[in-house]
Amino acid sequence: MFDWLKPHDVLWLIPAAPLLACLWIVVVGHVVRRQYAHRPVILAIAFSAVLSYYLLLKVVPDHFGTPLAHDQHAQEHKPADHEHADHKDGDHKGSDHKDGDHKADDQKAVAHKDGDHKTEEHPVAKAKPSTAISVNVFGETERDGKVTPVPWIRIGDPQGVPTLLVLPTLRADAMTALMLVMVTTVSLLVAVFASSYMKGDPGYPRFFAAISAFVFSMCMLVLAGNFVLMFVFWEAVGLCSYLLIGFWFKKPSAAAAAKKAFVVNRIGDLGFIVGIFMVWQTFDGSIDFDTIFGDPSVIARVVTMQPEILTTICVLLFVGAVGKSAQFPLHVWLPDAMEGPTPVSALIHAATMVTAGVYLVARCTPLFVHAPTAQLIVSGIGATTALVAAITALTQYDLKRVLAYSTVSQLGYMFMALGAAAAGKEFATLAITFAMFHMFTHAFFKAVLFLSAGSVMHSMGDVIDMRRFSGLRKALPITHITFLAGALALAGFPLLSGFWSKDEILAIVYEASRHPKHGEFFTVIMGVALLTSLMTAFYTFRAYFMTFWGPEKFPEEAGHHPHDAPPAMAIPLLLLGVAALVVGGATGPTHLYGNYLAQTPGLPAAHHHAPNVPMMIISSVLAIAGISLAYLCYVSSPSISRNMKSGMTWLHTWSQEGLKLDAIYLKWIVKPLRLVAQISEFIDRWVIDVIVDCVGFLPGLFGAVLRPIHNGFVQSYAMVMLIGLVVCLVTALRVLAGM
Amino acid sequence: MTSTSLESQLVIGAVLFALGMIGFLTRRNLILIVLSTELMLHGVSVNLTAFGRYHGNPQGQVFTIFVLTIAACEAGLALSLILTLYQRRKSLDVYLWGNLGEDDLPVFTGGSTVTQSKPGDPNADLPHLTPAGRAPTPPAIKA
Repeated sequence: MFDWLKPHDVLWLIPAAPLLACLWIVVVGHVVRRQYAHRPVILAIAFSAVLSYYLLLKVVPDHFGTPLAHDQHAQEHKPADHEHADHKDGDHKGSDHKDGDHKADDQKAVAHKDGDHKTEEHPVAKAKPSTAISVNVFGETERDGKVTPVPWIRIGDPQGVPTLLVLPTLRADAMTALMLVMVTTVSLLVAVFASSYMKGDPGYPRFFAAISAFVFSMCMLVLAGNFVLMFVFWEAVGLCSYLLIGFWFKKPSAAAAAKKAFVVNRIGDLGFIVGIFMVWQTFDGSIDFDTIFGDPSVIARVVTMQPEILTTICVLLFVGAVGKSAQFPLHVWLPDAMEGPTPVSALIHAATMVTAGVYLVARCTPLFVHAPTAQLIVSGIGATTALVAAITALTQYDLKRVLAYSTVSQLGYMFMALGAAAAGKEFATLAITFAMFHMFTHAFFKAVLFLSAGSVMHSMGDVIDMRRFSGLRKALPITHITFLAGALALAGFPLLSGFWSKDEILAIVYEASRHPKHGEFFTVIMGVALLTSLMTAFYTFRAYFMTFWGPEKFPEEAGHHPHDAPPAMAIPLLLLGVAALVVGGATGPTHLYGNYLAQTPGLPAAHHHAPNVPMMIISSVLAIAGISLAYLCYVSSPSISRNMKSGMTWLHTWSQEGLKLDAIYLKWIVKPLRLVAQISEFIDRWVIDVIVDCVGFLPGLFGAVLRPIHNGFVQSYAMVMLIGLVVCLVTALRVLAGM
Repeated sequence: MTSTSLESQLVIGAVLFALGMIGFLTRRNLILIVLSTELMLHGVSVNLTAFGRYHGNPQGQVFTIFVLTIAACEAGLALSLILTLYQRRKSLDVYLWGNLGEDDLPVFTGGSTVTQSKPGDPNADLPHLTPAGRAPTPPAIKA
C-alpha cells in the first residue's frame, strides 16, 4: 500500500520532520503565533512516529516476529556479508533518486534486498537475521546514475586511502526500529501533554523548539551508522537535555542543575570518544557499524591478535554509557535534572535519552561478548547503581526525585542484564533482549509516572513535596488511576509490564549465577536484584500512598479547588497508562519483542528461553510484599514509619542525601577544582590582564605627549603654520643660494 | 621723490604683512582677526603692484583689483560667520570656540549617563543621535 515510500526514504524522513519543526519555530514560530508553537512539533513527531511504525514493518519484512530457527545459525551472517561487500564496491544497488536536481537527499545506497532470496523455502527457514538498511545522506549522482557518497570527514592523502573516512550514513535494523518506535511514541504523547502543561509559559515556543531538536537528535542517534555520527548526536541530545533542564534559567537551582548535568556527562563522553579512537585504531581506520559488527571475522581477527584491547574498548565505551545513563558513580546529575519542566523529565530523563547508554552497550554487543571482564564491570556497576539509587529513593520527599532515583535504579537493572553475558556467550542475545525489553516497558511506565507527577504538580500549584499534600485520589481521579497503573507496572505487580521485563532480567541473572564461570559474582548480583526489586515496590508505593491516600490536604499554592488534568493532559496520561499495563504482557511472554530484536544483524546465536516460573513467583511475592509494606507503613499505621525514622535518624539522613555522594564529590572533587579555578583566575587577572593592559596603556601615553599641541585655538595652529612656513622658506632659500 | 624705489615699496608690503600676522596671532577678537587677515592680504597686494610697476607691466595692478574684489566677498562671508558665532555665545572672544569636543554630547565617563538636554536648549525637542559606546536607553514606560 505504501509502495511509493521506499524504506530508505523513511530513514531520513524520520529525523528530518522534527528538525524542520524545530527550524520553523526558531525562524517563524518564535515570533508569530507563539501560543500555537506546539502544533508543528506535534505534527512532525506524529509523522515520524507513523514512519517509525512503517519502518518497523519494513526492516524485518515477511518474518515479523517469527521465531528464529536454531539450524539457521550457521548462515545467519550471510546477508551482512553481502551488504559489506556492497559497501566496499561502492556498488549501491537499488540506488534511486528523484528528479536529479534535488541534490541533498536524492542519494540512497540501499543494501537491502531481503525480498530477493529464499522465497521458495519454508516460512520458518526464512527466519534469519535481516540485513540493515543504510542511507548516505549526502551524495553526488554521476551521469551514469551511479552514486558516490560524499564523505563527511575525510582525513589523509586526497588520492590514496584515507586514514579516516566518515560517511553520514543512516542505518536501520531491528534494534533501531524498536528504539525509534519507542522514542517517537513517547515523544508524541509527551508533546501533547506538554502543550497543555506548559501553557502560558513565556518560553513556550522555545520549549517546543528544544523538544523537537531533541527528537531529531535522538532519532539520529539511534539511526547513526557509525560511531562518529553517533557521538555527534550523543552530544546533541546532551545539549538538548542541558537546554531543557535549564529551561527556567532564571531559577539559580535550574541553571546549576543544567550545568551539573552537562559537566558530569562530559566525564562520560571523554571515555566514549577515547573508546571511538581505539575502535578506529584497532579496526584499521574503520568506524562503521556495518564493517565492524557485520562481519564476525573482523572481530575474530582482532581477538586473536590483541585479545586485551577489546576489553579496554568496551570499558571505555561503557564509561560513555555510565555518564549518559546516569550510572554509579556518575548518576548524581539525574536527580538534579528534575529542575526541568516535568514533560522533559518524562521524555528525556526517564524514557529516551538516558537509555542511550543501554542502546550503546546493546549495539556494541558483538564487541562486548569478547570482553567478559568488561561485561562483569557493566553488571557490577549496574547492580551497584540499582542498589544505591533504590536506597536513596526510599526516603526522598520530592515526588519527582523518587521517580528520578527509580529511573537510575531501573537503568542499573538494564546494565545488570547487559553484563550477564559474561557468564557465557550463549546468554548474549538474551541479555540484550531483556535489557532492551526492560528499557521498552520502562519508557512507558516511567513516562506515565512522571507525567502523572507533572499533573499533580500542575494542580498543586507547582508544589512537589509529598509532605505538603496527601489524599489526592478524590480530587485528581484520572491522575490517580494513571499513577497507580505506572506504579504497579514499575513495582513489578504480576502480569503488568514491569513484571515481565523485570522477571526476564532476574531470570537471565539467575541463569548466569548457575553458570560455572563467574557463578558467585552473579549470585551476588541476583541478591542485589531481588533486594532492589523489593525496595522498588516499597518506595514506589510509598510515593503513591503519601500522595494519593491519607487525609485530604492541599498546599495553599493550589488554590481552593485543585483541578484534575485537562483533556490534552489526560489523554496522553490514559494512553500511556494503558501502555504501561499491557505493553509488557503483549510483547514479552509472546516473544514478539525478543524475536524481533533477534533479527538484528551481528548478534550471536540466541537460545530459546523458557519462562522461569519460580523466579516469577519470587518476584511477584517481593512486589506484593513491598506494596503491602508501604501500605502498612504509610496508610494503616503511619506511626511505624515515624518510629523507624526517629529510631534510625542517621540512616535516614544518609539515605536521604543519596549516601552523601554529593557531599563527597563536593569535598574531594568540586572544591579542589574550584581552588584550581581560583588560582587560574588570579593568574588571569593579575598576570595576563596586566600585560594586556600595559599594551593598551602605551598608545594612551603617546597620546598624552601629543595632546597639548592640539588645543583647539586657531592662533596656535596659525603659529605652527608660520613656523613651518619659515622653515620651508629658509630651506628653499638656502638651496637656491647654493649653500 | 617722483619715483619711490622698489625696496621701500616691498618694505611697506612686508611691514603690512608682518603687522597683519602679529595681529592674527595675538588678537582674540574675531573681527580683529579677520581685519588682520585683510591686512596680510593687502601687504601681499602692495608687493604685486610694486613688482608690476618695477617691470612696467599692468598685470600686477589688474591682479590686485581682482584680489580686492575677492577680499570684499571673503570679508562679507567672514563677517556673516562671525555674526552667527556671536549670536551663539554673545561674545566675540575666539577662545570660547576652542573646544574640540561636540558641545551637545555629554562627556563620556564610562558609566551609564542619560542624555539630558540643557534647559533652554532650542534643539531639545529635535531627535538626537545616541552617543557612541552606550546601549540606547528605552523610553520610560508611563505608569
